[in-house]
Amino acid sequence: MSISAPRYGAAPVARTGRIHRTLAIVHRELLRRAGLGTILVLALTYLAVTLVLTINTDFASLTGSLTLATFETPYASPAWPFLMLIVATSVGAGSLAEDVGNRSITLYFSRPIRRIDYLAAKTAATGTWMVIAAVGPALLGLAVILALGWAPASLVLAGAGAFVATGLLASVFFTGLALALSSLTTRSLYAGVAIFGVVLSLEIGAPLVSGLTGNSSAAYASPITDILSVAQSAFGISGPFATDPLTSAALLAFGGGLLAIFAGWRISRVEVVGE
Amino acid sequence: MTDGLLRTDSVTKRFDTVEALSNLSVELSPGTIGLVGPNGSGKTTLLRLLLGLLSPTSGTLSVLGRDPQKEPLMIREQVGYMPEHDCLMPDLSGVGFVAYMGRVSGLPRETAMSRAHEVLEFVGLKEQRYRKIREYSVGMRQRVKLAQAIVHDPPLCLLDEPTSGLDPEGREEMLGLVAALSRLGGRSFVLSTHLLPDTEGLVDQVLLLNAGRLLAAGPVERLLSGKNPETVVRIRGEVAEFIMALSRKGIDVRPQGSELRVVLPSGDTRPVFEAANETRTQVRYLCPSVRTIEDLFLSLVNENPGGPVP
Repeated sequence: MSISAPRYGAAPVARTGRIHRTLAIVHRELLRRAGLGTILVLALTYLAVTLVLTINTDFASLTGSLTLATFETPYASPAWPFLMLIVATSVGAGSLAEDVGNRSITLYFSRPIRRIDYLAAKTAATGTWMVIAAVGPALLGLAVILALGWAPASLVLAGAGAFVATGLLASVFFTGLALALSSLTTRSLYAGVAIFGVVLSLEIGAPLVSGLTGNSSAAYASPITDILSVAQSAFGISGPFATDPLTSAALLAFGGGLLAIFAGWRISRVEVVGE
Repeated sequence: MTDGLLRTDSVTKRFDTVEALSNLSVELSPGTIGLVGPNGSGKTTLLRLLLGLLSPTSGTLSVLGRDPQKEPLMIREQVGYMPEHDCLMPDLSGVGFVAYMGRVSGLPRETAMSRAHEVLEFVGLKEQRYRKIREYSVGMRQRVKLAQAIVHDPPLCLLDEPTSGLDPEGREEMLGLVAALSRLGGRSFVLSTHLLPDTEGLVDQVLLLNAGRLLAAGPVERLLSGKNPETVVRIRGEVAEFIMALSRKGIDVRPQGSELRVVLPSGDTRPVFEAANETRTQVRYLCPSVRTIEDLFLSLVNENPGGPVP
């Protein structure tokens, strides 16, 4: 072992502000979640969505039925909710749980940052991954369509707007859900199972309750149904929708926000230094 | 506080019905401070209060002249904290982890990285700095925890049980590192430990806690010389009779193991030999005792089993 004093620079270093410290956490969290599994799922999604969009568009333009609704296909596929679930589990389940589990949260909170900074960083990183998964593939597909000249630019732009709007709402909800469930446990596996369990239970349970009670508003309880309604509306598909798109959009945004606040409350109660 | 490092004024911290700290009032100046007491004595609670992670139930605190409740971020910029338990990020390399902690402490990226290399070399992890932390031994983990605590060059470091889980060799090395850092000057340490020998020869001030109450605080020299010095006596013969004989002469005596600890007024050893003569016992050993922090702690606990030292 060498014992020699660290030789720091003569002049004291100017400290960065809270935003830079928070961004350092975002940066680390983004890299930390870039595992092989996540990258593989995303690569396949980008490929599949681009292929589906371009083939659909080519077919629609040949048959003269090209409209904004042509681009809705990725959301209509049952594979899409599963993709969101896989990504939310992969990037969000361990977001808080791992730090509490290995107690590295102690180190964060003994640093010159507030707990809200820590949570904001985690939310930003998880949210970024969700947006990459929810919006990115469709934007790539539309870019390819535009480059090939298979659809007019105005239509592609409208499609991009619809993808961004729907994708952002879905990202807000899944980010909030992942953070909330991650804050409840110290193991990312449990949080991941819970994310799947909650979404699939609501997806199966909401129509059942709706059918049994005859109350159609139970359908709002399913986030996947809500996202589908918003998507159909955004892509100009005429109703009837399973739920009112505006109400569904509000529920997704409000629900995601509320779940993130719940995660913040849980983090505020974490004991920092254990005996 | 003028030159003060830490000050607490009548600080009490209560968790539901448990009083973790009771009416603690101390003032300590810069240096190396031993925060000593058995498990559950309130050491960690005090560290949490100093970092601004807990609010006192009553009383006020000051760290480096600032109130942790009002300016927690300013304090944490100037304080390095080494937690007791394992709290590392196993997926990072040693240098990546320490640099990351530097960045979260407010160092620019390049500075954080260069300091991470420096402090890892200092703690003896130069060769292992690129290895993942999950591959580190217990000793290496303790060292990397120390490195992250000093990476941002804080004027005050709070080290919570830094020798926890280390073998004797690792313990010596860790204490050597702390000693080397404290010799550099310009940096103060609070060394929280329940292992009293860890503080011997290392700390210049001590804060002794027991059951949330202050037993003593201040410079070690003053505390150890503040009482009548004891003399260690070993005899051959009837110990009980010898003790009674000494007691009749007004001499304080207490048995400790196979020895007797005798307080001789003004160092006059004649009463010992007189008592030996009277009880026909042999004095086999007689020497002024070297008081340690452990002796001080034990004597204070014995004198004040249920309450604070006046």
